[in-house]
Amino acid sequence: MTASHGAYGNADATTTATSNAASSNGAASTDESLNARVRTSKSPRPNKWGIIIAAVVAIAIIVGAVAIFNGRNAQQSANKADTVTIGLKLAPPSLDIRRQSGSAIEQVLIGNVYEGLVSRDSDNAVQPGLAKSWDISTDGTTYTFHLNRNMTFSNGDALDADDVAWSINQLKEKQYYNANQVESLSKAEALDANTVRITLSSPDSNLLWYLTGRPGLVFDKDATYNAKTQAVGSGPYTVESFDSASKMVLKANPKYWGTAHKPATQHVVIDFITDDNAAVNALKSGDVDVLSPVNATLAKSLDANTYHVSASDGSDKFVLAFNCANKKLADKRVRQAIRYGINHKEIIASRGGVDAALGGPIPSVDPGYEDLTGLYPYDVAKAKQLMREAGYSISKPLKLTLTYANTYGTELGDQLKSQLAAISIDLNINYVEFSTWLQDVHANGDYELSLVDHAESHDFYKWTMPEYYYHYDNKDVQALYAKALAANDEKESDEYLKQAAKTVSEDAPADWLFGYRVTVAYNKGVKGFPDKLSQTVLPLWQISKAE
Amino acid sequence: MRFVAKRLLLFIAALVGLSILVFLALRVLPGDVAAVMAGTNATAARIAALRTQMGLDRPLPVQYVDWLGGLLHGDLGISAISGRSVVSQVGARAAVTFPLIVLSLAIALLIGLPLGCAAVITRNRRWRGLFHVLAIVGGAITALWSGLLLILLFSHGSGLLGLFPSQGFPNDGWKDCGRAMASLVLPALATGITAGAGIMRYTRAALGDAAQSQAVSMAMACGMTRRQALLRVGLRLSMPQLVSVIGLTFAQMITGVMVVENLFALPGLGSMLITDVGNRDLIAVQSELFLLAAFFLLLGLAVDMAHHALDPRLNTASDDVQEVL
Repeated sequence: MTASHGAYGNADATTTATSNAASSNGAASTDESLNARVRTSKSPRPNKWGIIIAAVVAIAIIVGAVAIFNGRNAQQSANKADTVTIGLKLAPPSLDIRRQSGSAIEQVLIGNVYEGLVSRDSDNAVQPGLAKSWDISTDGTTYTFHLNRNMTFSNGDALDADDVAWSINQLKEKQYYNANQVESLSKAEALDANTVRITLSSPDSNLLWYLTGRPGLVFDKDATYNAKTQAVGSGPYTVESFDSASKMVLKANPKYWGTAHKPATQHVVIDFITDDNAAVNALKSGDVDVLSPVNATLAKSLDANTYHVSASDGSDKFVLAFNCANKKLADKRVRQAIRYGINHKEIIASRGGVDAALGGPIPSVDPGYEDLTGLYPYDVAKAKQLMREAGYSISKPLKLTLTYANTYGTELGDQLKSQLAAISIDLNINYVEFSTWLQDVHANGDYELSLVDHAESHDFYKWTMPEYYYHYDNKDVQALYAKALAANDEKESDEYLKQAAKTVSEDAPADWLFGYRVTVAYNKGVKGFPDKLSQTVLPLWQISKAE
Repeated sequence: MRFVAKRLLLFIAALVGLSILVFLALRVLPGDVAAVMAGTNATAARIAALRTQMGLDRPLPVQYVDWLGGLLHGDLGISAISGRSVVSQVGARAAVTFPLIVLSLAIALLIGLPLGCAAVITRNRRWRGLFHVLAIVGGAITALWSGLLLILLFSHGSGLLGLFPSQGFPNDGWKDCGRAMASLVLPALATGITAGAGIMRYTRAALGDAAQSQAVSMAMACGMTRRQALLRVGLRLSMPQLVSVIGLTFAQMITGVMVVENLFALPGLGSMLITDVGNRDLIAVQSELFLLAAFFLLLGLAVDMAHHALDPRLNTASDDVQEVL
């Protein structure tokens, strides 16, 4: 500034003076700004302090979070008495029990939120439900149900014979899930407010049992709600919130009509924990009180003084199905060889030694069960001989593909591959997503070997349907099963079922690798958790926790 | 202004292309939601009836136009399985995933920036070597492994020091902030360490380049020490590069945290996608993927603009920049 002023104003005479002044001024200002910079940035200490302060703040935040969290924990355990938390492995994808498949949805909702005409106990036997009693006509085609009085749904609507008849007729008309189980059922009608008559086209000794499941559930015919996200039932609990990714909260239904099944605990929280290790950690840290199921191997690490651990028979059958419609497997010798060639003991031992050997299509909790494990004992020599007769040898092995869902883990496939290699079968494993399995194997029947856990009880009928993906077609079995259904007497019915199951097992359309036995673990303070069949029947009303 | 308009047009074109790609790619998957819903007891007739009910038997172009029409109205559709709107589903999961990403990124920056700067500033060879090793080792640790290690060390119940919960998210979500934060600490550390090593490498490279530049020499010539010149001038010069890297890291984390979510059983976007693909709930999956991809693109757009704002040299017409700013 001064320099230019000097240049404009005066000519040569003052040049030296002004330039001196200018230069000295300029030098001063440059120095000043440099000095300023140097001063501000020459202090690295604040920077260091900044870092230290930031670190302290970060640590304080973390410690604070932990403290709050721990405090919260303590608080929680203090008011936990009215809440029991149960850890399950599988979550229902939605609440729509009429359309959505899967056993998880039945396990959680039936008997707790929705109720059926009849119910099922933990011994798989039929018990009264909404109906307190029933009469069956001598020809077995007419069932008359006598309902309890003064029943209501959770929304306050009355539940009477009209709702029952409507629900069952809707099932048939709309072909809701498992409608095919009660094919013989032709119609339901309300005789009066408390009596319902069901008419069958042909007798069906399984009908009552099937009515304990989805086909017998009663819905409110006057209510409109989004069945996928809400549930209006008549059970002791209502669904307070549900997210299939994390949990379901059940709350005692204040309008519950029954006196026998009054909930012992106000809230039941069901946490869905897919990871086995995570589940056991949750039990150990007290986040859940019950685990059903728990991994059998991991359960061994639980302290026996604190936790009750037990395993029980269930209806889960791990079925290695042989596609009978496939050319290679149409040869019965090959199918038999595979059954002889599988070392079930080894497979069960590698899974924790809890599961039960299963020799046929009927599990021990179902009618018609008998021990068929003696039919095809582990016998490699015999298996090899059968394979030789069928024209295969180690140098010319039979190539087969096993298709199964990745939910079951790779170990099973690897074990089968190595066991069957010994009897000259070259097993190729096709490890797929469950939905792919459903499409390729179940819907299209396009497979050679398939492995899946058929969890349902009373599902022998699948062996009588040639169109089912087993493609097993045996007229004798179909006739025996028809006789079992028509039989009036339970013993007689069981006898026919046994014969049918034995015939199926002898024909070797599948190998039953094992019956999955569910291991359950819970804190000893928990009372009323069913030890048996908790994968299919989980009555929550009697669960409580001592504090 | 022209730059912004061009970028926006590109953004929209990319979205449309994306919607087609996502739609078609999912149709290649075997199996469908009707079969999954019908389960292992279903008859063929039952599956066919469900397909008709859900409109799965309509020709693909019709289904696509239907979906796109919904998108234009801001309607992302309803999950065929859970019956919830996709928006609410994504929202609920993003409430876990996004805080996790932000926390991971904060940890990554807290690790990466100071260490990266220190690696350039120090003249000590041993220190340099140490930083080098740190960057390589940190980057080589997969989140899955460090996650397991963190669980072994710090998890509630089974860890050596029971400091943090290692599984799941509190059932009541963010109502209890402390508890929710605590459940995100270990997963955020697991991803943050790896990402932090990445940021450290980038910082070191960018600042290293800047250290050679004339701007830093000039600053030193004006009297700054080397450290001052690097931190005040060099760091500012390398800012545009670092912002790009941070943007990319953020985008990578959206997919990166999915593994960690699985390990720590967090109900985030990753587990949602896995379940929905497993159920073949294609309407939900395509909308979810579309949202995620749109977010990726948006992030790219934001980074581009930030880039331009931070580095005026990139613009020929500087007036535009003023307007962007």
